[in-house]
Amino acid sequence: MSTTQIKSSKPLPQGRASLRKRRKSLHSPLHFLLFALPGAILYFVFVLWPLVLAFWSSLTNEDAYRPKTSFVWFENYAKLFSDPAYLQVLGNTLVLTIIAVIVPNALGLGIAILLDRSGWAFNAMRAVFFVPVILSSVVVAVVWQQLMKDDGLINAALRPFTDNPPGWLSDPNLALYSVATIVAWQSVGMCVVLYLAGLQSIPKELLEAASIDGAGPVRRFRNVTWPLLAPSVTIMTVLTMIGGFKIYDQVKVMTNGGPGVGTTSTLAFDVIQTGLSSGAVGYSAAKAAVMFFIIALLSMASMKIMKKREVDL
Amino acid sequence: MRKQRRITRYLAIGMVAAAAIGLTGCTAGGSGTTTPDKEGNATLTFLVSESPNLTPEYWDAAIARASKVVPGVTIKKVVGENTPAYAQQLFASGQAPDIFAAGIANGLAQKGELAEYTRAEMEAAGITDFTSGTINGKFYGIPAGAQAIPLVYYNKDLFAKAGIDGPPATYSELLDDATKLKAAGIAPFEIGGGGEDTWATTFTLNAVVAADMLTADKDWFLKREKGEVKFTDPEFVAAAAKVAAITKAGFGDKDGMTRTYADMEQSFFDGKAAMYPMGSWFTAAADAKKLTNIGAFGWPSDAGKPAFPVVSGAGMNVNAKSKNVELAKKWSLAFATDKENMDAGVITDGAISTVKGYQIPENVGTLYKEMVAAYDAAVAEDATVPAWGNTTGDGALPPGFNDKMVAANVDLMTGKTSPEDFAKYLDEQYAAAQK
Amino acid sequence: MSIEDTSVATEELVEEEAQSLSNRKKKRRWRGQDVTAGSPSRAIIALLVTAVFIYPIYLVVLNAFKTQEDIYKSPGVPVLPLTLQNFTDVFTRSDGLFWTGLINSVQITVIGTLVATMVAAMMAHYMVRSTSWFAKLLWITIPLGLMIPAATTLLPLLRVLDTFGMIGSIFGLIIVYIAGNLPFGVLVFSGFMRSIPKEIEEAAAIDGAGPIRTFWAIVFPLLRPAGASVIIFLAVGIWNDFITPLIILGPGNGTTITVGMYRQISEYVSNYGAVFAYMVLATIPIVILFIFLQKYFVKGLVSGASKG
Repeated sequence: MSTTQIKSSKPLPQGRASLRKRRKSLHSPLHFLLFALPGAILYFVFVLWPLVLAFWSSLTNEDAYRPKTSFVWFENYAKLFSDPAYLQVLGNTLVLTIIAVIVPNALGLGIAILLDRSGWAFNAMRAVFFVPVILSSVVVAVVWQQLMKDDGLINAALRPFTDNPPGWLSDPNLALYSVATIVAWQSVGMCVVLYLAGLQSIPKELLEAASIDGAGPVRRFRNVTWPLLAPSVTIMTVLTMIGGFKIYDQVKVMTNGGPGVGTTSTLAFDVIQTGLSSGAVGYSAAKAAVMFFIIALLSMASMKIMKKREVDL
Repeated sequence: MRKQRRITRYLAIGMVAAAAIGLTGCTAGGSGTTTPDKEGNATLTFLVSESPNLTPEYWDAAIARASKVVPGVTIKKVVGENTPAYAQQLFASGQAPDIFAAGIANGLAQKGELAEYTRAEMEAAGITDFTSGTINGKFYGIPAGAQAIPLVYYNKDLFAKAGIDGPPATYSELLDDATKLKAAGIAPFEIGGGGEDTWATTFTLNAVVAADMLTADKDWFLKREKGEVKFTDPEFVAAAAKVAAITKAGFGDKDGMTRTYADMEQSFFDGKAAMYPMGSWFTAAADAKKLTNIGAFGWPSDAGKPAFPVVSGAGMNVNAKSKNVELAKKWSLAFATDKENMDAGVITDGAISTVKGYQIPENVGTLYKEMVAAYDAAVAEDATVPAWGNTTGDGALPPGFNDKMVAANVDLMTGKTSPEDFAKYLDEQYAAAQK
Repeated sequence: MSIEDTSVATEELVEEEAQSLSNRKKKRRWRGQDVTAGSPSRAIIALLVTAVFIYPIYLVVLNAFKTQEDIYKSPGVPVLPLTLQNFTDVFTRSDGLFWTGLINSVQITVIGTLVATMVAAMMAHYMVRSTSWFAKLLWITIPLGLMIPAATTLLPLLRVLDTFGMIGSIFGLIIVYIAGNLPFGVLVFSGFMRSIPKEIEEAAAIDGAGPIRTFWAIVFPLLRPAGASVIIFLAVGIWNDFITPLIILGPGNGTTITVGMYRQISEYVSNYGAVFAYMVLATIPIVILFIFLQKYFVKGLVSGASKG
């Protein structure tokens, strides 16, 4: 997910002499016992072990409503990709993710550029965009539910113009996009904050120089700002993408997977629903494993990309 | 350097303090399990759900009364959802309480998670209605009261406004009335429920199926369990088609599908729709508001048979792994048959008590009285049918199936799926859930 | 999108741009077009965009001070006189939902954040300074932790907690948060740790200081900017978390403030004024923390990294 650990995982260049010296002090068993072990135990027991258990469970037909569990190898996985309900969930998640990547990044960049000016008014407006960043997604979902329900505020505003305002959350063809809007809205704040940080680190001299050379705002953006901002854009794209694949809260609160069968169900929502409410623990674990692979693959691919960028720079 | 060290020390002190707070907090919180001591005293956990009718105050008072009768029990109220799926989640995650207020037995009882009540135990406590609620012939809940789910509640003022004299006797009359209401600019039905409350959308289906199928064959869902009938059979498809037709004709509240359950109730009170298919607990809400303009009728079949779907409450399920099952059962029976609790159940939840010698309190509301009179009449004529969507014993929908049906029913109502496909989907899901 | 992922990125971004930062401090020359001052038309457009963006938040705060009737009648505008009744309703709920949630959330967030930060810092130190096989194993397994979505391991995690008898307990939830947030903390700290010359530590070691003293006296103080940003990110994440406490705490031992909000909404009454008031109240603590640490948040991320 970041290149920090890639850098660190490279052995640090060091002289043999200093290495020997360090061994004496820092590599004492005490260092291991006190610094590494407690954290490592917690991490292995409460993070990695459940992951192993999930993989194991995905190879069984474990079910909460049936006492007997047997080993079924990859039956659950085979079932998964021929299950139209699961393919729908996969499709939903893809649509959500695409929107949750494009919209906040485009809007966030635009707003960041708009707000990248000095003065108290701009400072204050910048602060506003911090707010959704620290809000719970449950709060966000509930507020938007009030706006988007059939007799909510958005439709109240539309009613003078139409008798049949859209069912933002009740129309099966629309609800997924409504959920995506909310996810995007919350990410916009984060994008604005990060892009502003990026913009403000661009040396103003460069822009001024370009301006003296007669470059208008568009050319200044294309030739100076954009190349310098590109790493931030890559990072935000990766983050919003991974975030998109993990969406759960908004769906749980706003639509509970509906309206109708699975219209807004996402990978994460489906995993929980299958395991807890339907009780199909083994099948749910297989879904979880697939989700893990997708996200791990995306993370590793994006680390590669970011590492390459770093080399390029 | 000196300053930095001081900061480090503050941090360390802060952490110790935080950890201390944490420890006391954890102790105060306690764990979810039963802790009996040698005199047989025990702390038992009791799962309830809160609603506009069943407020936190209601539960606290009811628990206190039962605990007075059974010495040595301390009841810890825990609040959650009142569904089998949620109960299943609690068992799966090892958090199951000792006692469940709502009937969640189906699926869990078969798996041996719940303790059995003997008939003798229940008769001794005054239970009289042993007609339903069994699982494989055994009792896992206490049938102390019944609910009619659903009846149709209607707003008499709005009916009058649309020029309708009284409740419809046949299905075609019901449709005529709906047309008249719609023409008068009144939404005929308050049907809906969105998000977490999507379950509330199924009352129309519940009503139609009860009227058209169960009045003819009470055992339809027992037969479905054995695979003798199917959802794709013509009678069920026809019932589903009626549900689809009602929303297609625009008879529903057009803002209903995103309302919460509480909002729906409020909308009906506010006169936003004329008819409201709902469980008999609704009488309590209406009577609490001292409304006099609301009446009730059973959803009529084509032939004019009204549906009176009833489910015997089979709540107060006891966790078989409770460390004191006997005490939990004893307390549960005391809770279920306490006179004041039953009164409270009547007044706040519209429950129909069937316990021996129970007299309805004087101060109950008119709608409740009307509803109970209708119930007594239906029982006398043997005209009640199982409230199939809410049955928790034999003939109940298999665990996990209801969630699927609720979601598919929304597709049926919005016209996204046809009655035939709906029925086919239900058969598939039923097979998958039966296991 | 998780706020934690972002911090790693922010740091990344910041490291890459640290170079350009020093340039900014140079005195600006006022020749050519001034590219930093906002024109009035830009200010107006910015204001409009900001207003649209923040409208949902405005609604929450506004309606928290209105009666149920006024919210239904005119949701978008202030209705005088404003009322504090909604807040009173939240405070005086007979089941104390708000208060138990607040106490639980404060405990969980404070302990979880602080312990996770400390443990992560120490682990990062070991991983950066040690060349043992165990350190290598950690370098392989720790990044996995950032890729595991909570949903995928929640069910087996419940089983693990059950084994230790920690299910439904606040203690269990805290442990889960500490373990789950280690990868993030370790990765942030290890980045900073590399910027600390190991010669300093070696000097201390030669002077006879053990690893613990060396760490607390020399390394840890230098980590403070990173520590502050780890703390704010973990605290926001833990405070706002929904699914983990919803399922791990279950119905038994109260709930957290965020899960309590969900209950305030879905089960009790359709009293939206109280729901909004609850939201405002539930957000205040984290806003306060954020205001306090915002300085560190920006500084820790921007200048902290540039030291390296």
